Amino acid sequence: MSLAALSHPEQAVAIEVRGVSRTFTTAGADVPALRDVSLTVAEGEFVSLIGPSGCGKSTLLRMLAGLDQPDRGTVSVEGDKVAAPSLSRGILFQDHRLLPWLTVEQNVDLGLHKSGLTTQQRQQRVSDLIALVGLAGFERAFPYQLSGGMSQRAAIARSLAPQPRVLLLDEPLGALDSLTRSKLQTELLRIWKHERITMLMVTHDVEEAVFLSDRVVVMEPRPGRIADIVDIPLPKPRHRGDPAFVDIKLRLLTSLEVETDPPANIVEH
Amino acid sequence: MRTRTRLDLRGLVLPATILLAWWVVSANGLGNNYIFVSFSRIGAAIAQFVNDGTLLAGTTATLLRLLIGFALGAASGLAIGLLIGLSSAAGRVISPTFHALRQIAVFAWMPLLTAWLGIGGQTMIALIAIGAFYPTVVNVEAGCRGVPLPYLEVGRVMELSRWQTIRRIILPAAAPSILAGLELAVATAWLSTIGAEYFISAGDGLGIILAASRMRGSMDGVIVGILAIGLVGFALNRLLAFASRRAFKWRAPST
Repeated sequence: MSLAALSHPEQAVAIEVRGVSRTFTTAGADVPALRDVSLTVAEGEFVSLIGPSGCGKSTLLRMLAGLDQPDRGTVSVEGDKVAAPSLSRGILFQDHRLLPWLTVEQNVDLGLHKSGLTTQQRQQRVSDLIALVGLAGFERAFPYQLSGGMSQRAAIARSLAPQPRVLLLDEPLGALDSLTRSKLQTELLRIWKHERITMLMVTHDVEEAVFLSDRVVVMEPRPGRIADIVDIPLPKPRHRGDPAFVDIKLRLLTSLEVETDPPANIVEH
Repeated sequence: MRTRTRLDLRGLVLPATILLAWWVVSANGLGNNYIFVSFSRIGAAIAQFVNDGTLLAGTTATLLRLLIGFALGAASGLAIGLLIGLSSAAGRVISPTFHALRQIAVFAWMPLLTAWLGIGGQTMIALIAIGAFYPTVVNVEAGCRGVPLPYLEVGRVMELSRWQTIRRIILPAAAPSILAGLELAVATAWLSTIGAEYFISAGDGLGIILAASRMRGSMDGVIVGILAIGLVGFALNRLLAFASRRAFKWRAPST
């Protein structure tokens, strides 16, 4: 215990976004998606990005995944500038994106081709992960045979398979019903503790952000920029009815509603 | 438990009506007897073609021709389709020519082909291959180009190499479209087979029975030829539909 405390894991920087700007050109018009955004996430931290649509939060996540590049500024993960996608950075999309022609097992195995594991070790890792996300017994099922929640569980297992240091989550539970969603929030928390990886999550759901995050980054649209960063010092797992929990949730909701824009495009609640 | 495939008798209403009308016209001498051949004469013609082996030899030869022509056309179509579907550089070089040539009807090639290959089996095979070639290329290319971007992003995120991406993402995603192309190719190859046989008439074949009967002025022979062509075509079509329904176990069964 004391050794862990001495090493100060929260000091090491996992994600560094420095002065990032990005403009998209759609139908001949320039749409500034991000302007001069800077953000640091410590190793092992769980940070959420919230904000109305058009605030560039998904763009930021895609840059960290290496699926998009900033026009200006730099994006680095563990000290390395992000230039292309890497297995060291996992990403979980809102649509689970399981390959429909592969079984759950084969989908989870997809990112293990560079792992250096033997076939047997790979099988072991795949079945461990399937058990971790609670899908034991569905190894040979095809995605069309799974419910939305089960598909997203399989996608979580797939993104964890290459043992990424950082997991990027792009509204991972946004398409699920509220019951499945709160169940999977608890699962995510358990996995985050179990795997001890840095997680950066885009979400529309303020309660979800408060439930899971160490810090919540509030963003504003047109151009996308950071409006506020809120620390959540409550111990996990958290209770949604806890007065301190509700306080922070209200504070975030207020901070989202006090936008310069009229409250038309505020968080869907 | 319900039977999975039940024959819907409503599908037999039209054929039965046509047969009945034909019978009424031919049996009562209401129409031209040369064209509206009586059932008994058709029956006799069938018996004769069966007994002298013409029908069996014709069906075998036609199917063999279809198979060879289809194999050549589909294989080259698969190769070209994959080339232009997977490489945009190849697509830019080949596609304009391909789509221009595609506008030429299959049988417009006949004068050239007969000049090159002679009036015989090779020209027939070439016409069938051309018939199979175009739909294969079009569907294979469309399948490769139509892979949803989200799946390609999964490949990038998983650090798949170009070859791995082709093998694990592009080809499986394109497979239904490729199969649909091959199904269509069998249908067009079948049309080309009968057309080629009818026009070139060398050796045995159902289309050749048709052409020879017409030359002899025997309308009962023509009708037997048409019936045989229809039946074989229908059987091919059903066979393919059956096979393609169970080709992909990863697709939700459509009920």
